[in-house]
Amino acid sequence: MKVSIDWLKQYVGFNGTQHELIESLPMLGLEVEESGDQSSPSLDNVVVGEVLSKEPHPEADRLSVCSVQVDENQEPANIVCGASNFNVGDRVPVALPGAKLPGGFKIKKSKLRGVASEGMMCSAVELELGQDGDGLMILSKKPKIGTPIANLFEKEISLELEVTANRGDCLSHIGVAREMAAYYEKELVIPELNFQAPTVQKPSKENLIKSLSVDSENCPFYNLLAIRGVKVGPSPEWLSKRLESVGARSINNIVDITNFVLLETGQPLHAFDANKIEDQSIQVRQANEGEKIITLDGIERILDSDMMVIADSKNALVIAGVMGSVDAEVDETTVDIFLESAWFKPGNIRSTARRLGLHTDSSQRFARDVDPAGIDFGVRRAVDLILEIAGGQCVPEIVSYGKAPRSSRTIEIEHAFVEERCGFNVDADNLVHSWKRLGFTVEGKNPWQVEVPSFRSEVDRPIDLVEEFIRIYGTSDLNNSPLPIPALHRDNDQSYDFCDRAIENLSSQGLQEVCNYSLRSANEIKNWFPSLEHESIQLNNPLTADHTHVRPSLLPGLLDALANNQKNLSQLSQVFETGRVFQPGPRGNVELISVALAMFPQTVSREWKKTEALDFFDIKRIIHRFFHATGINMPKDPWILVQETNPWQNKHASKKGDVHKNKIAISAGTISLTLSKQKNIKGPVLAVEILIDPILLSKKRKAITFQTFSSFPPAIKDLALVTDQKEPAEKVRSALESIANDVASGSFLVDPVVIFDVFSGQGLEEGKKSIACGMRFRSSDRTLGENEVNQAFEKIVEKINQNTPYTLRS
Amino acid sequence: MEKDLQAIVDEATQKLDSVTNRPDWDKIKATILGPNGSLTQLGKGIGKLAKEDRPVFGQKLNTTKKQIEEIFKSSLHLIEEKEDLKILGSEIDPSLPPPSNFNGGTHPLTNTRRKIVSIFRKIGFTVAEATETETEWFCFDALNTPEDHPARDEQDTLFFSPDSKWSNIKQKNQEAFVLRTHTSSVQIRSLLREKPPLRIIAPGRCFRRDTVDATHSANFHQTEGLYVDQNVTIRDLKGVLDFFLKELFGNKVETRLRPSFFPFTEPSFEVDLRAPNIGKLSDQWIEIMGCGMVDPKVLQLVDLNPDEWSGFAFGMGIERIAMILHGIDDIRHFYNNDLRFLSQFNHSS
Repeated sequence: MKVSIDWLKQYVGFNGTQHELIESLPMLGLEVEESGDQSSPSLDNVVVGEVLSKEPHPEADRLSVCSVQVDENQEPANIVCGASNFNVGDRVPVALPGAKLPGGFKIKKSKLRGVASEGMMCSAVELELGQDGDGLMILSKKPKIGTPIANLFEKEISLELEVTANRGDCLSHIGVAREMAAYYEKELVIPELNFQAPTVQKPSKENLIKSLSVDSENCPFYNLLAIRGVKVGPSPEWLSKRLESVGARSINNIVDITNFVLLETGQPLHAFDANKIEDQSIQVRQANEGEKIITLDGIERILDSDMMVIADSKNALVIAGVMGSVDAEVDETTVDIFLESAWFKPGNIRSTARRLGLHTDSSQRFARDVDPAGIDFGVRRAVDLILEIAGGQCVPEIVSYGKAPRSSRTIEIEHAFVEERCGFNVDADNLVHSWKRLGFTVEGKNPWQVEVPSFRSEVDRPIDLVEEFIRIYGTSDLNNSPLPIPALHRDNDQSYDFCDRAIENLSSQGLQEVCNYSLRSANEIKNWFPSLEHESIQLNNPLTADHTHVRPSLLPGLLDALANNQKNLSQLSQVFETGRVFQPGPRGNVELISVALAMFPQTVSREWKKTEALDFFDIKRIIHRFFHATGINMPKDPWILVQETNPWQNKHASKKGDVHKNKIAISAGTISLTLSKQKNIKGPVLAVEILIDPILLSKKRKAITFQTFSSFPPAIKDLALVTDQKEPAEKVRSALESIANDVASGSFLVDPVVIFDVFSGQGLEEGKKSIACGMRFRSSDRTLGENEVNQAFEKIVEKINQNTPYTLRS
Repeated sequence: MEKDLQAIVDEATQKLDSVTNRPDWDKIKATILGPNGSLTQLGKGIGKLAKEDRPVFGQKLNTTKKQIEEIFKSSLHLIEEKEDLKILGSEIDPSLPPPSNFNGGTHPLTNTRRKIVSIFRKIGFTVAEATETETEWFCFDALNTPEDHPARDEQDTLFFSPDSKWSNIKQKNQEAFVLRTHTSSVQIRSLLREKPPLRIIAPGRCFRRDTVDATHSANFHQTEGLYVDQNVTIRDLKGVLDFFLKELFGNKVETRLRPSFFPFTEPSFEVDLRAPNIGKLSDQWIEIMGCGMVDPKVLQLVDLNPDEWSGFAFGMGIERIAMILHGIDDIRHFYNNDLRFLSQFNHSS
């Protein structure tokens, strides 16, 4: 909301500077927005000049080359100009070299299409002196040549206030002035009203208004009156200047007055041309489904039955509380007017404005709950101004429906309550005085009865009165507050600590952490995860076409990071990210924790010492180190070779576990070569993604119980088994391990069996491979004897021959 | 015979002199100490000696044998040492860089988040987390922002389709799922799950339907804080925030509470700070975070009696803090993942 300081001064005896207000208003909760250049745009070096000649530019049809007298004692300046609305002899504002226009544009001597230009002739918009930007600002009163423009136009200084959602009352000059009056302890001066009229439920016969009917629960209070014989014309200068000072456009005196009263009091008013109203009857009703209206901005709007309209017996004339239509607009031909002042339900106006995408000065105020007491005040203020400025005769009755939905209210509050919330001693007199400064009435003596006027709709509980006190009193008493912190038995959520350990581990493994957006495009998801039901994770109201879905995986983002750095020739070849991802599941979507990494097999830069290219087993080592360090278990399911296509390269990637079943899953390998090519990456990319349902991390981990270990040396036996090339080595190993355990059962222990060699080729049948495993046997109470070990070994061999498809390599 | 003994010693010394490996050494050893070796042979000749000469010769033989064994032992030691050195290769050039020189590193947002969390941990705040997917009730209604509340206008919320289902996110009723617009929703989930006294800090990712520019991002990060106990006051709030900001920006920082509005706190404040050491932003009041006393309605909505419990809450943007701390001028840097940006913050703490 833009406020003019001069205008504010009309209601409160404030003599301070703009700077003072910029300091004090925020401390009341009214933030002043940065205007970029706080020192206020100066019009230094902008002077009155007279056009002596105007010749076409030799190189450009639209430009002219002018000779302009800017100082009577000097040679005229040569200026190239793009405007065409002026003639030789006209006086116009000229910005000379060195001037800085309000928009920040600096004027310098320059050449335009080869012709020197020593300044710029300006329009009203360029100098922020008016709305007209179509041509030069012609100074018709012919001020003296060389006069600084600043001397001719006294600019009203305005501030842009950011009014919080609870302070609808501050969307008006009187509202802001009231806050200033409270802060500076000055009197608030409210304009006196002359117009007096009784309210009636039905218009009398003499009234221009034939009938008023209200048929909507969204309108509990509606006032309408008629004025005959107004003279519509331009507004007087003071009025248009007021409006322009806060960025509003002057239209005509009647419309300007309704806008002025809105900006002054916060009460939106609407003026109808009475003769454009069918039957001179006004109906307040819900719109019909699909009802059409062309609003004043010239756009046809299609309404629905949740929206309220003000209509005559035929058509909707106004979208209630939002914007009028062209049908009942007040224009130069208007003679008689109806003036509306009402209270509409805030939620309804808000949702209508939002659904139509039409936020107006009026809807903004209705949506924040206008002061019901202001409805009467606003309309009477407007009548006074109309009669004064546009003449006419008011029908001396206000046709009224319903009643004010709320008025002032009384809150009881105890001194102790205030001190308990504040945490410091509060002087009772100070407290009462603070409330009185705000215009509240205070009665009684601890507990007090505080009467809050209707303009403060949101102050209705004792805690709200504490806030009001703090707002006026300030919080400087709280500097150097002590820090009382009783210890609590609570730990970080495990999910947080897990992710933090993940970041620690992967960055220590030489990977760079990156951070990507969670929102991705439909195309990417369809392409990368063709089997995913992507509609489930689609947003209902995405802002842009490339941000339509939430990410089901961190992998595409990681490839973007690699691709961008590869393009920039950065030496970045290993990246990781942790974050939330979103996937459809059998019982609805799940939000998962993802830890993912991606890397080039070879370093980006050439190196003096050759290292082997990384492969699947290098990233598997990273995974093992990761699980070891973060202390969670890998899913028990085996590593399965990926057979499908995207996002992985067929047969060069593997998966372990199912996130819906095991709450944890790992995939690792080479990203589909097609996909990395699509991301403009040269060469293959190795990647890993670990998905975890946060529920897995919610359990408290048990303390580890120590177990005694054998201090006797192990007996070592090796064994090579021949099997089909396609048989997973792990299957062979675990079969051997379980047989060994079986055989040893009861007499000694077997360490985990390890694979130490895999071989195929010479000496083996085609399509076969040999897997060599090492076994370690140990007992907790003795050194195992050779016989015992050999017997066991033979039994193991026997069982392999009997129970497995594997053969011993001879 | 004595002469022979000395000759064998000389022979051994001489032969071993040029030996460089274990097999050659073994061969030479066999020629002297092996069953057919010269020394062994000489020993066998003892029988031919006169009976009375035998003990003297025997003694000499033994001494020589020991001497020769010693010579072989030290020779072997030298050979082994040389072989060990061979494994090490030629001498190093320590000035060459290490291969595959990835240092790895953490993202500046991680660094900033860790810093914030570690400061609050000092004063007894522990981390609470909730999902980024939220429901309207937890994100708005429970935070005293009902459907027709004007504050809901300001939240440009991203919605999932009305029939979307989430199996690991609980709804209150049948309300719609959204991407959370603030971490304040963690307050609600935590207060419903755990009973006060409760003191938590909740860092996490949030979403607004904002056009991306230098100061706006489609997603961003916040840290929420909440303390609910008996008799928590505005003074406690100020004490905690002053401690935090002094830890973060140094002892010279000044702070002030400026009245503001959030539907879920009453009274509500913006926290401004002025610090001498933050580059272009030095020595002027800048807004750093929002805070306030938990609104009694919020406590009621999570089944707490506001006459018994009170509390404060605060929230800040992690990107904003990082930008102020490091003088970063464009929020998009955090998401572009350019190494030239990221590598600058690997040491920041």
